[in-house]
Amino acid sequence: MNIYDTYETIIGLEVHVQLATKSKAFCSDDTTFGADPNTHISVISLGHPGTLPKMNKKQVEFAVRLGLALNCEINPRNTFDRKNYFYADLPKGYQITQDASPICLGGQLEIKVGEEKKTIRLHHIHMEEDAGKLIHDVDPEHSLVDLNRAGVPLLEIVTEPDFRSAEEVDVFMNAMRQLVRYLEVSDGNMEEGSLRCDCNVSVRKKGDIQLNERCEIKNMNSMRYARQAIKFERKRQIDLMEKGERVAQNTLNFDPSTGTTSPLRQKEDAHDYRYFPEPDLPPIVLSEQYIEKIKLEMPPLPNELVDKFSIEFQLPKYDVGLLTEEKETAFFFLEICKKTNNYKAVSNLVINKIKPYCNEVKIGISKFKVSPKSLAEFADLIEDGKVSSSIAYQRLFPALIKEPEKSPEIIAQELSLFQSNDEGFLEKIVNEVLENNPKEVEAYKKGKKNLIGFFMGQVMKSSRGKAEPKSTSTLLRKKLEK
Amino acid sequence: MSYSSLVSIQQSISDGEINCQKLVDYYLSNIENSKDLNIYVEVFENEAREKALLLDKKYTENPDSVGQLFGLVISIKDVLCYKDHGVTAGSKILKGFESLFSATAIQRILDEDAIIIGRVNCDEFAMGSANENSAYGPVRNAVDTSKVPGGSSGGSAVAVQAETCLVSLGTDTGGSVRQPAAFCGVIGMKPTYGRISRFGLLAYASSFDQVGVLAHSVEDVSILLNVMSGYDENDSTSSSRPVDDYTKDLKVEGKKKIAYFQNALQHESIDKEIREQTFNLIEKLKAEGHEVEPVDFEYLDYIIPAYYVLTTAEASSNLSRFDGVRFGHRSDKAEDLIGIYKKSRTEGFGTEVKRRIMLGAFVLSSGYYDAYYTKAQKIRRLISEKTFQIFEDYDFILMPASPTPPWNIGDKMDDPVEAYLADIFTVQANMVGIPAISLPFGKHKNGLPMGIQLLANKFEERNMLAFSKNLMELFF
Repeated sequence: MNIYDTYETIIGLEVHVQLATKSKAFCSDDTTFGADPNTHISVISLGHPGTLPKMNKKQVEFAVRLGLALNCEINPRNTFDRKNYFYADLPKGYQITQDASPICLGGQLEIKVGEEKKTIRLHHIHMEEDAGKLIHDVDPEHSLVDLNRAGVPLLEIVTEPDFRSAEEVDVFMNAMRQLVRYLEVSDGNMEEGSLRCDCNVSVRKKGDIQLNERCEIKNMNSMRYARQAIKFERKRQIDLMEKGERVAQNTLNFDPSTGTTSPLRQKEDAHDYRYFPEPDLPPIVLSEQYIEKIKLEMPPLPNELVDKFSIEFQLPKYDVGLLTEEKETAFFFLEICKKTNNYKAVSNLVINKIKPYCNEVKIGISKFKVSPKSLAEFADLIEDGKVSSSIAYQRLFPALIKEPEKSPEIIAQELSLFQSNDEGFLEKIVNEVLENNPKEVEAYKKGKKNLIGFFMGQVMKSSRGKAEPKSTSTLLRKKLEK
Repeated sequence: MSYSSLVSIQQSISDGEINCQKLVDYYLSNIENSKDLNIYVEVFENEAREKALLLDKKYTENPDSVGQLFGLVISIKDVLCYKDHGVTAGSKILKGFESLFSATAIQRILDEDAIIIGRVNCDEFAMGSANENSAYGPVRNAVDTSKVPGGSSGGSAVAVQAETCLVSLGTDTGGSVRQPAAFCGVIGMKPTYGRISRFGLLAYASSFDQVGVLAHSVEDVSILLNVMSGYDENDSTSSSRPVDDYTKDLKVEGKKKIAYFQNALQHESIDKEIREQTFNLIEKLKAEGHEVEPVDFEYLDYIIPAYYVLTTAEASSNLSRFDGVRFGHRSDKAEDLIGIYKKSRTEGFGTEVKRRIMLGAFVLSSGYYDAYYTKAQKIRRLISEKTFQIFEDYDFILMPASPTPPWNIGDKMDDPVEAYLADIFTVQANMVGIPAISLPFGKHKNGLPMGIQLLANKFEERNMLAFSKNLMELFF
């Protein structure tokens, strides 16, 4: 047995979610990403003398929304604390955060790793403000500071050490991304840093109960890096233990260029953050009515929709995955399904035609201009065998996009797209096809049965797609096997 | 020409005896003549003259168009932000710094046509009880220039005392308005915590700081409180409770119940004459029919230690932003980020500020937090509970503003603990967040002023001011 297989990896996450509020956590500065450096700032976010924080109420609402979605207990009396440390991206010399009484306690998120369901428990979620950004690669001699991000509201989700592999972390982060986007509390964009995680990693011999010293890995701005970092760290720690050495608790930096981790700071610089209650912000008290109101306004969550689509709608896993990935798609799909029970046909239509079309013209699927009612009708035309699916996709769909107000049935009529299973009509074409292809008929009769596809194609061609496939194939076989 | 209240100034203006320009000239000449007292950090001479000219014109055109503070020439402590004006908190670390905005309190007085004549000296970051901890050097008491004026709003107290302005705005974290008022023979009032917005006040200890007023008359304190009070969305700790009219019908109705602390008046640190005069006043009040009674206050000796633990803790964090990165002093000897912090702060902060930052960082550090910070918070809660309990039975608490008369400049510089103990009677109001006022009452036999202090329950400024006015008329 490989020595590495005798160990298990224990991982806990600290996930930072940047909230999609219009203004910062404690002042009215704009939060739009990508602005010129130091343009979204004010005396408050610069920490000028005499300034005070003022609470952004949206931040609280978003935190409650996420907390409710994750089954957390909502803390009715929220206080803030100061976390004190010096750094060039931290204007006040302290970060306003929640240390003593985080807004959400406990909670969990269920994830699916392969076919297995797993529950990741949460320790808590707290509100805090982001720091600015240091830019090291613009000026050869100086580090530059951009404070646009300073003061942007964050939620930090702290999990229990429930992960056992990088894959689980990956699945969890994707589920979290999906969830925050459903809840519209964050854009969940990892590249822009709206969703990031620090990983606490330790290893232990399988079967052991005691947890060993852990290391915290920071600075992983993509899930690929997180996977690499965890795998590297697992190996590093096992190698140390196998050599009989101790893993020292440390904060590590991940270097994407080498795929390795290294200590972020020396031990003697270990921080004492000197947390204490933030005297500039009075406690925020959340009434039961307030929490209840947010609960009532909650949209359906991804897990609920997955169940609905797979159990109630009987859709295959692949379809369910694609349809629930984005809330916009799921809701669009649901709207159509209110008008028809042909769920699979609707799913095919959304996945194979509407989504690719919207991607191509770069619009959100909710902006697609054909009404759910028409799309339901479209699906029904296929499912009722009135228009073949290939004709529907190739000819009716483009026509419908050109005239989105028009009923698909009327368009199909105008373009005479209805497929035929009229025996006389079919028989005429089938006879023609057989007469025109004597070699193939002979070959078929000698046993080359897969030529049926060829004959089908010929009939479809001659009928310009209007031949109903089932009847055609029955008739063909009947004639060929006579 | 000498004016003791805004009402009399406004009367003289309306009688045509005087105008804003003449008033400004008068105060500017007093500033010029009192330069040795080292009151002003900066005089806004031209600006004050221009504003006076404009206001006189506005008044001539329509006497009803001017604001409530028309005719008020005021100075502000060097910890209050005034847009496009310097503000340095008496510190080298903010040398040359100009604020980009005005404090809410400042904006509100400007909106009512006050003329700000300059910003005045104070202890660095309002840390001190003698105004000796200033980068600009000590302020001198106008009664006796060898004496301290008290602190930290020493500049404000002497500015009023030496008639360089009618009133001055100070700030009070543990007595910084009331104690210098007592030392300089003027009135000093700090309102309830949250009554006046702290937005634009350079924070020393956020849960203690309040803007306060130093003036010659209770009426002037009242009108300024009227103008500055009220909720401010920029300060989440400001109170949304409606603001009383502190100027209307300032009369004492009925007889009052007043408490005093026997152990405070018997305290080892108290000056004998201050004690005697306080007891004399108590007898006079009784003779007036008020009920004045001793009550037990067992926490007296815990007040100072708890206060210094909590305020320095907050200060150590509040002063972190002065790091040489974005504004203020940056050492030119620094070679890296840590160097910028260490050298800029070492060069920029004075000794007392450094001492308090160290103390504050220490009491918050892991391992000591519970022993100091948590315990001090508990004491604060106990003191608050006890104080509110007293106010269930009494209208006011009476005690001296300071256990001693002003001391010689330099006397307590080497003994910070002794200097801290000078705050023993003033910090209670800040620990609890209640209003308090220091009134000048007579003179010590050495000729120096003394102050008696009244403490009232939260938001009881109106009653406190009414009673103060009554006291001033009767006895002082």
